[in-house]
Amino acid sequence: MKTRFLFPYYFKFIGLALIVFVHFPLMHILQLMHIHFDDNDTSLFNHHHIFFILTYVMIVIGLLMVAFSKEKIEDEHISQLRLDSLQWALYLNYLILIISLVFTTGMDMIDILRLNLWVPLVFFIIRFRWVLYRLNRSLN
Amino acid sequence: MTNNIRVERAIKNITQADLAELVSVSRQTINTIESNRYVPSTVLALKIARVFGKPVEEVFILEEGD
Repeated sequence: MKTRFLFPYYFKFIGLALIVFVHFPLMHILQLMHIHFDDNDTSLFNHHHIFFILTYVMIVIGLLMVAFSKEKIEDEHISQLRLDSLQWALYLNYLILIISLVFTTGMDMIDILRLNLWVPLVFFIIRFRWVLYRLNRSLN
Repeated sequence: MTNNIRVERAIKNITQADLAELVSVSRQTINTIESNRYVPSTVLALKIARVFGKPVEEVFILEEGD
């Protein structure tokens, strides 16, 4: 089946590798090195900015690859399940986002918005995998 | 919508996996169509009917309330 806007199948593994072998070790290394950031530096690509790119942006790219790569056998039923899961994930995400924004202020709010960069993708991946798992189980 | 895929498969003596391969979808999809949990697109319905060499109305049947 012809699919639009999907990465090839192997991108799933590239994405996973990016998260497990690049993102996680980087986080640990940065933590172990006890780097102190200069809070007064607000220029582009300062330490804070680089750290942000290495952590949040890296995980977003990895998760995007995992979430939107093709399945081994891609067909219309899988596409439908994917769209269902996407809708489900967005509903859940906005529900949680609204609740958490109502009950937080200040810096916590910024953290929540940053988390929101990739949390919907996690919801989507979990839900989509779960549906596919149930589908495979129903076969046996 | 109901369907006679299981019966037609028995007549032609092919498995779900065989049919899935003939219409290039996954075996899970054929399984969910057979058990009326998924309504195939027109293209897929026509392809399945063509495998059995019958008009699509003989394989897929509308129900009351559709």
